[in-house]
Amino acid sequence: MEAPATMSAIPAAPAAASRMPTRSLLYLFLPVVVVAILPLLPFVNNYIIAATVRALIFISLGQAWNIVAGIGGQLSLGHSVFLGLGCYTTGILFNRYGVPPWIGGFIAMLLSLAVALVMGSMTLRMRGVFFALATVAVSLALVQLSRHFVDLTGGADGLALKFVGNSLWAMQSRTPAPFLYAALAFVIVYYWITRALLTSSFGLAMQAVRDDEVAAAAAGVAVFRTKLLGFLLSAAMTSLAAVLYLQFYMAIDPEAAFGLSQAIQLQLPALLGGLGTALGPVIGGALMIFLSEVTNWGSTKIGVEGLDILVYGLMLLIVILRAPSGIVGLVFKNAVSGGPR
Amino acid sequence: MAGIEAVLLLALQAILSGVLVGGVYGILSVGLSLAFGVMRIVNFAHGELVMYGMYAGVIASRNFGIDPLLILPLSFLLVALVGVAQYQIVFRHFVGHATLQQLLAAIGCALVLQMIAQIIFGADARTATSMFTGQYVVFGPFFLSQAQIVAFIVAVAATLGVELLLRATTWGKAVRAVADDLEAAEVVGVNSRIINIGAFALACGLAGLAGTVLVTYFPTSPSVGFSLMPIIIIATTIGGLGSIGGTFLGGIFCGIIQQVTAMMWNSALQDVPLYVLLLLFIAFRPTGFFGVRSE
Repeated sequence: MEAPATMSAIPAAPAAASRMPTRSLLYLFLPVVVVAILPLLPFVNNYIIAATVRALIFISLGQAWNIVAGIGGQLSLGHSVFLGLGCYTTGILFNRYGVPPWIGGFIAMLLSLAVALVMGSMTLRMRGVFFALATVAVSLALVQLSRHFVDLTGGADGLALKFVGNSLWAMQSRTPAPFLYAALAFVIVYYWITRALLTSSFGLAMQAVRDDEVAAAAAGVAVFRTKLLGFLLSAAMTSLAAVLYLQFYMAIDPEAAFGLSQAIQLQLPALLGGLGTALGPVIGGALMIFLSEVTNWGSTKIGVEGLDILVYGLMLLIVILRAPSGIVGLVFKNAVSGGPR
Repeated sequence: MAGIEAVLLLALQAILSGVLVGGVYGILSVGLSLAFGVMRIVNFAHGELVMYGMYAGVIASRNFGIDPLLILPLSFLLVALVGVAQYQIVFRHFVGHATLQQLLAAIGCALVLQMIAQIIFGADARTATSMFTGQYVVFGPFFLSQAQIVAFIVAVAATLGVELLLRATTWGKAVRAVADDLEAAEVVGVNSRIINIGAFALACGLAGLAGTVLVTYFPTSPSVGFSLMPIIIIATTIGGLGSIGGTFLGGIFCGIIQQVTAMMWNSALQDVPLYVLLLLFIAFRPTGFFGVRSE
């Protein structure tokens, strides 16, 4: 019932997203093939594969954040809450009770949904700033809580997943190659979800709310419900991708789980690539991991720690001040949904 | 049970030290609130500015043997300058709108400022000593840190000073005019750009001053900004974004709750009730006790 009204609110987005010719699909197919055959190539070692997996994981996480922030316009600054809940729940269930991540991940997702529901219903009625502050507060509270309950979480040292060797049941592998395919699947599915969302009536309602809440409400969009559902979807996707994160890194600690720096790493792919686009987080995530590899190399070279964070901060500033619609916005001007640029 | 009297004494002790640390939380937060009240800018790098104030105290104390309390005006000025740079480079593009981009840009600033500090000062925690550090006053059955008492006095004085500046001077009137209605202020001849820079510099300078006071009893490190930011946000939200006096009282309120939790329940979880309070305030009274209307 509300769909037709929102359609007219933003005419540019569906046109740009659905008018994807077959040739463009080929361009999208190509990188997938390249990543898929990566382990077969002669010059590729485990280091390169692991870096690629990292990039794919952060692309998935970035895609999930992109839904609440890029498409929905709700600045979930502490989105690491759901990464942390996903990792800790899955890890604790596996280490203590032997629950495989296949099941643990879904329990974690339900927990994330519950937390998102409480957070969202308390704070999403307010405009921007307060929702952002609330998400930060929850993430920092969880840093403290996860440090405190040492029995459960391993405290500040974190939680190391029990290693059982190569096992599909436990989602563990000695080599990074299996994760490459798992992460690639995540990227493809999340990309597809974002594409589908951008043109769906629900996605259009989200974008309408993002661009002008009052106008959206006047056009018949249930503003609060739209924000809340978008937040829930994003939380669930983050939490599921967290399973991959945990299985690949094999460990989690309070800062990596809930910390602000981690939250920023969840945001950078979409910000660098292009907020609110399906392609943005893909490009941005790849760029982010590439930059972090280069700066880590530079850090050890000149003996200064934390260069990657400095570069992230500078990138964030440069993108926001100079290229607010990200790389995608610079390259394909009409691919960016919403707004004239 | 001899319990009730002991519990009451403990509670009173907790409230007393809560008021003292809370006053400092207040002055830590006043700048954030001021910048929001005048320009609708939420400076997530506020904690980093506090951190620079703390390092100013460390350098004065360790490298020059000067009491950090003596360099308060200097650290106010230095951090105010950092603030002006931050405003000119970043925030002048976002005056009037606390948008997604503005919040993210502030986080970018926070990261950059934090890493610059880490490169200059190293990642280790550092301390400073003033003439009051480690001294205690025994006051009846209560035991209070002198450094905290002095910090509280400075905090009250600075907050009163800012209130006075905003209420009694022409400049303060211009700031309030710009905060109320930028265009109307311009019409009557106020240069809002200059006023905004000044107000932002004041907000940042306060962060620096607060940091230098804080470092007389609390160690600093490059990441201290991120760990102070939650309390700053909570004090500001509970007291009321945009209200100076409200924010200061919000700080005291936070201090009391935190200390009572720490002494009577569990010091590792001292901030958890504050997070719950923040969520409740955002849900039911987002303007806090004394806040300005939020857009």
